[in-house]
Amino acid sequence: MSETISTEAFQVLLDRAGIRVKPEHMEEMRSAFMLLQAMRERVRKPRGYDAEPAHIFAPMGR
Amino acid sequence: MSTDILTISEAAALIKAGQLSPVELTEMCLSRAKAFEPELHAFVTLTEDRARADAKKAEAEIKASGPTSPLHGIPIGLKDIIDTKGILTTCQSAHNIGNVPDTDATCAAALDAAGTVLMGKLTTHEFADGGPSFDLPWPPSRNPWNTQRFTAGSSSGTGAAVAAGLVLGGLGTDTGGSIRGPAALCGIVGLKPTYGLVSRAGVAPAAYSLDHIGPMAWTTEDCALMLQALAGHDPADPASANRPVPDYTAGLGKGAKGLKVGVLSRWHETDRPVAPAVKAGIDAALSTYESLGAEIVEIKLSAMQEYTAAGFFISTIERGAAYERMMLKNPEKFGQRYRDRLVFAALCTGMDYVQALRRRRELITEMAAAMAGVDVVLTAGNPDEAPPIDQVPRWDNLDKPNFTMAFNLTGMPAICVPSGFGPNGLPVAIQLAARPFGEAVLLQAAHAFEQATPWRHRRPAMLGLAKAA
Repeated sequence: MSETISTEAFQVLLDRAGIRVKPEHMEEMRSAFMLLQAMRERVRKPRGYDAEPAHIFAPMGR
Repeated sequence: MSTDILTISEAAALIKAGQLSPVELTEMCLSRAKAFEPELHAFVTLTEDRARADAKKAEAEIKASGPTSPLHGIPIGLKDIIDTKGILTTCQSAHNIGNVPDTDATCAAALDAAGTVLMGKLTTHEFADGGPSFDLPWPPSRNPWNTQRFTAGSSSGTGAAVAAGLVLGGLGTDTGGSIRGPAALCGIVGLKPTYGLVSRAGVAPAAYSLDHIGPMAWTTEDCALMLQALAGHDPADPASANRPVPDYTAGLGKGAKGLKVGVLSRWHETDRPVAPAVKAGIDAALSTYESLGAEIVEIKLSAMQEYTAAGFFISTIERGAAYERMMLKNPEKFGQRYRDRLVFAALCTGMDYVQALRRRRELITEMAAAMAGVDVVLTAGNPDEAPPIDQVPRWDNLDKPNFTMAFNLTGMPAICVPSGFGPNGLPVAIQLAARPFGEAVLLQAAHAFEQATPWRHRRPAMLGLAKAA
């Protein structure tokens, strides 16, 4: 994954989510977003498609 | 004003013996609260009338038939994300100004049923995340050991109020360390129980699958007494565990002989090197346990960053889902720190969430295997002493791993216990964790360390007590 994101691309993400960020906070948020990208790598490990998530669904009577 | 501050167990013994009345004890706490609240900001709402009414009721009941529990007549406080019938419950947010619930949260009702005296609602970070914030309707709490310092959060008011003796115990909530962090930095004991042991019903969510409610008090024994009243199945909480509740005080005083203590050296030496005072506390704890007859074994886990990353996505996205509507309709009513967290939630994807859940399963499996051969594991509570309250990094949770999130992610019980003081005279702590529903052995191990060290004999200097620091 990219380790940088342009201001324009970051604005697209915000627009898609319907979120407004004050112009004076944009640059700090964009910088912090880079840290999130690094964490994305950590939760994506080489694993088979059958590796289940932690949450389970417990039907009634189970 | 009293020249001393009692623990819950000390006060309970005096009340039972007829040497202390709940009314007298409550007046001591109210007196301290009024004296120190202007500096500490531990309370969002001080429920003075309720406290006096509860104390009178408890006194009458005890006179008639003796105390019904060790908490009967004990002044406590509740983090202000816990619903209280007829009492303002703000979540420290402009969104909740004027919010007065018509029922008690299950945990609040449990402490009420145990006969506690409700002193009030205690400061939190906004909706239990993001702080310390200076742009909310109420100021952040201050650390009694130095009011220019941070309490940690988000159960910040509970940490400050217990350390200063404004209450004898209180409830915090913990989604990534919000009980244990304030306990570590305020020099008290904080227990995050196993996920599902204490009902979350009636408590504002921070992140549904990581949220825990637990006791914060001056001693391990006091936390055990509070947990006894809190634990148990609640159909109103879909995650509530339906299993027998053991006697959490049974192991207190049994020492540590024969216990196996695992140590996670990698976390505090490599993944996030801790301050010398914290390291000294961990080393002293290991020596103490060895001298008490415990066996020390090194255990290996993935980097702490792995646990923090999975916890970050799960907590951020679950929080975003909980507060999405408020964020889209009235973002300006949130403080900036919390609003920024919700912005990040919106920038995460559904795939981020599921990948984090898949990582969660792997890490739970890893930790369960590592803990199978030990009774408790030992690590740091916090990497350093409390920082200045105006210098708390805004993105610390993204930038650095924390020592507490791993046990939210895995749902295992964990406790922070004071382990000394740093060069600034502020408390530091160790953290112990156990297997799921292993609170009894966790409390036993914590109590053994606590009893072998002198750290429970110092109170913050601002209190002006004979045994203050």
